[in-house]
Amino acid sequence: MKTFSNVNARDAKQAVALSQQARKDGKTPAFTGGGSDLLGMVKERIITPDVLVHLRGMKGFDQIEQRGGGLEIGGQVTLDTISHHPLIRSRYAVLAEAAETVATPQIRNVGTLAGNVSQRPWCWYYRNGFPCFKAGGNTCFSIAGENQFHAIFGGGPSFIVHPSDTAPALVALNATFKIAGPGGDRTVAASDFFVLPKQNAAHENILKDDEFLASVHLPAPRPGTRSTYHKIMDREAWTHAVVSAAIVLEMDHDICRSARIVLGGVAPVPWHVPGAEKLLVGQKITPELIAKVAEVSIAGANPLAKNAYKVPLTRNTVKRTLTELTGLTG
Amino acid sequence: MNTLKTVGISTTRIDTLQRVTGKAQYTNDVKLPGMLYAKILRSPHPHARIRSIDTSKALAMPGVKAVLTNENCKVIWGAGSIAGGVQYSDEIKKITKQHRYAFNNPVRFAGEPVAAVAAVNRHIAEEALLKIHVEYEPLPFVLDQEDAMKPDAPQIWPEGNLALSNRNEAVPMGQKRGNVQDAFAKSDQVFEDRFSTAFVHNAQMEPRSAVAHWEGDHLTLYTPTGGIANCRTDMARDLGIGQDKVRVISQYMGGNFGNKNQNQDADLIAAMLAKQTGAPVKLELSRKEDYIGMHGRWPTTQYYKVGVSKDGAIQGIQLRGYSGMGPYRKNSGAMAGVELYEVANVETSIHPVYTNKTVSGNFRGPEFPQGYFGMQSMTDEVCANLKMDPVDFVLKNMTRKPGGGAKYTDYSLEECVKRGASEFEWAKRWKKVPGSDPGAIKRGAGMSFMAFRSGLGRSDAVITVNAQGKYTVHVGVTDVGAGAKSTMWMIAAEELGVPLSQVDVMWGDTDHCPYSVGESGSRTTIMTGGAVVEAARDLKKQIAAKGMPAGTAMLTATVSANPRLPEGLVRSAFAAHYVEVEVDAELGRIKVLKYLAVHDCGRIINPLTAHGQIHGGVLMGIGMALHEDLIYDKRSGTALTAGYYGARVLTHRDAPKIDVIFIENDDGYGPYGAKSIGEAGKVPAVAAVGNAVANAIGHRMKDLPITRDKVIAVMA
Repeated sequence: MKTFSNVNARDAKQAVALSQQARKDGKTPAFTGGGSDLLGMVKERIITPDVLVHLRGMKGFDQIEQRGGGLEIGGQVTLDTISHHPLIRSRYAVLAEAAETVATPQIRNVGTLAGNVSQRPWCWYYRNGFPCFKAGGNTCFSIAGENQFHAIFGGGPSFIVHPSDTAPALVALNATFKIAGPGGDRTVAASDFFVLPKQNAAHENILKDDEFLASVHLPAPRPGTRSTYHKIMDREAWTHAVVSAAIVLEMDHDICRSARIVLGGVAPVPWHVPGAEKLLVGQKITPELIAKVAEVSIAGANPLAKNAYKVPLTRNTVKRTLTELTGLTG
Repeated sequence: MNTLKTVGISTTRIDTLQRVTGKAQYTNDVKLPGMLYAKILRSPHPHARIRSIDTSKALAMPGVKAVLTNENCKVIWGAGSIAGGVQYSDEIKKITKQHRYAFNNPVRFAGEPVAAVAAVNRHIAEEALLKIHVEYEPLPFVLDQEDAMKPDAPQIWPEGNLALSNRNEAVPMGQKRGNVQDAFAKSDQVFEDRFSTAFVHNAQMEPRSAVAHWEGDHLTLYTPTGGIANCRTDMARDLGIGQDKVRVISQYMGGNFGNKNQNQDADLIAAMLAKQTGAPVKLELSRKEDYIGMHGRWPTTQYYKVGVSKDGAIQGIQLRGYSGMGPYRKNSGAMAGVELYEVANVETSIHPVYTNKTVSGNFRGPEFPQGYFGMQSMTDEVCANLKMDPVDFVLKNMTRKPGGGAKYTDYSLEECVKRGASEFEWAKRWKKVPGSDPGAIKRGAGMSFMAFRSGLGRSDAVITVNAQGKYTVHVGVTDVGAGAKSTMWMIAAEELGVPLSQVDVMWGDTDHCPYSVGESGSRTTIMTGGAVVEAARDLKKQIAAKGMPAGTAMLTATVSANPRLPEGLVRSAFAAHYVEVEVDAELGRIKVLKYLAVHDCGRIINPLTAHGQIHGGVLMGIGMALHEDLIYDKRSGTALTAGYYGARVLTHRDAPKIDVIFIENDDGYGPYGAKSIGEAGKVPAVAAVGNAVANAIGHRMKDLPITRDKVIAVMA
């Protein structure tokens, strides 16, 4: 582990200023919340920051508040809190369930929502120190290498999959993100936060230097909304999604008014499948319709040499998740 | 069997309180005045000649006290290579052609030590590694054991890629009995198939560490080892000093599973840095270093040919196998399994092969789980083809005599198999037509069986008693996880006829404990336990003759036991495992629903620990069958999944309920009839799980681990 210093920020403004100052001093800053992943990366020298700007002490950023019929979740709220929060469990189940599947209880106790959404990829090339796109290089080693867990959608030039469980849930919930930075706060739709490698191969999101994800706003759920998160894991704890599905349905009795289907583990960003959603709108949901939706959700899949299994797995996951959410049997 | 007072009663371990309250001193807890910290620079290349190493910038750093490379440290790590599965010895050291040094040039696997630094703290040591400039000449490399045997494969040693034996001979291991060609010609059906198993790491909780401290020419080494006596012998031999100049201390350690017997390169590197700097040196490996720098189970490729008659009697078995040893032969590379069947015609040829992957060595039944998987997958597939119940097939073909006219000291395999089939409700759970469950969720059952060495052998014990009636047992054990300290404690109390509270145990220090065999090979209870029984008997005789000691006097019984079985007898532990799995064919998920392990491990000394041993072994077996792999990037030759996360080692949430039945017998050998147990839980588990999957989905999965991608490829 490279030696670094730690500074605790009082508030967002100071956090940004500390980061800017470090840069001015020729140092590399990094924001940290729970630090559960970041410190591991520092130990492995995947990243080598000089200054950690610690966000956990900032006032008000670990709160969950009802606002405008919706919910405002501070970026420093822990995943454990989110997974147990009664209002999130009842109104935004997909988010609580997603948070609950992250890593291990120890990590969820310290890991934050902002950290989970902003975490770096878990591609084994990146995490083993290969000089790939994500490490500032110009190669994706997975293409001609071991790509069992890599992207089947939206890949190129990098084929990482986005590692976050909460991100697909937030995109499915039409959340908006508040970003703190040198110019003050800015707000973006969750779906606009994440960027494909063809737009930016080195970073997974729009955060610029000295910016961090400050908070997340969830709009009020429409009546009849139900949601769930289904994660395919290679063991029962402490793995990232091989494939996951975050689905939010607005139901009027047995008719679907609107649908959001966002996939995790399959693309460099949370993978939204509007084509599949459209099939559901205004329809009575039947096993036959679910099968069609599942089929359309894999349209355009472009697997690499060793991850073709993810295509039927994605289809079957969507099918299974929709079936469970609508209480139908397959 | 007669009932006993202490043995056979579930007893909390002697050191539980120390362990759970943090008082237990593990090697990493050792902190000596003026101690330096060491770090290792490891090769990024799987095969490369080192043209030059420039350590001047590292040495110039304030706080850096020494840098070792192959240029200034020529220590040979004997136990790291050509043991060939036989304990390294002075004789082997003399004749060995292929030396493994603490630092090698050329380097032969990615992760091999190139240099080591000792500095005043960990950070400086790590920074210093970055200042060492190494010029490598990358050489062609080969990762797969079969590829390595091709004529045009890169040669890892001048003698070729077929690993040398400890007699420097490059010959496959094997046996030949009868005539397999005639047997196949006479068979009604002959089946052929190929199976493969992956590299699986021991994944013990405690990564390797060592603290070395020289006082004059006397070395004290704190290290997590299951064999303090073996470690001392190895260190003395490697360093060229007398055994009386080495003290090895291992009071507590966090697991072993076979990769902490003998000495390790970390011990030698710490000792050499301590020698060079004149200060104590601590070396701690990270989890990742432990995964690639120690050793794991050898990956295998196995080709079987089996001939059977119409009634399912095996006529002949042929096996051609390849074991990936990494570039050093730290163990034999053997494959067990063929000996499970009573067959007149057998021909095996097993090739221990050098590759540029990380090294293979001892791991809980070194040659068993992978060999059993291949052999018992093969026979299970034969059953499926014959439409025969595997239980009937096993009962027809399994070993009943060890061969060569010998007999088992006692034989319970049939009872294990039958009792298991009945308790498990095999007839209900096993699918007559594999894969016949309709829909995506498919259940099936599989079974396997085991006959596992349980021999006698040499170990020592010393017991003293003082005037207060306090007995102290001195034994050279450290408790690798199987509870040896507590086992010796219980055996001593039993044989002395005193309560446990009157018995202390001294362990884990070569200056205070006599020779023990080393906690590997599931033999400590038998061998060291046997010595404790002898010592207790001796002490009781002394007390009977002289009375209890008075004042400050003590009585001491010193025993060096080396019992042998009578000619023509073979001692074996037996088991049968039954498992039911559920496979979600759409999602590729395999879940173990029910597991029953029936074991004859002779008399159970401590039921609490014994159950834990079987549970742990079964879990490791499930992990090997369904999860674990050290995946390599083929182009760079480096490992991508080193560590608990990457290798997908099982978590508590993956653990199914495991039922254990012990069939207890006292065959008159070993302490109270105790047999091997530590490895036994894992040995048959992998094959049983594989067979259950095949029964559930109607498709034989021939390559381990049976991961989701493979299941989906055949099912979805």
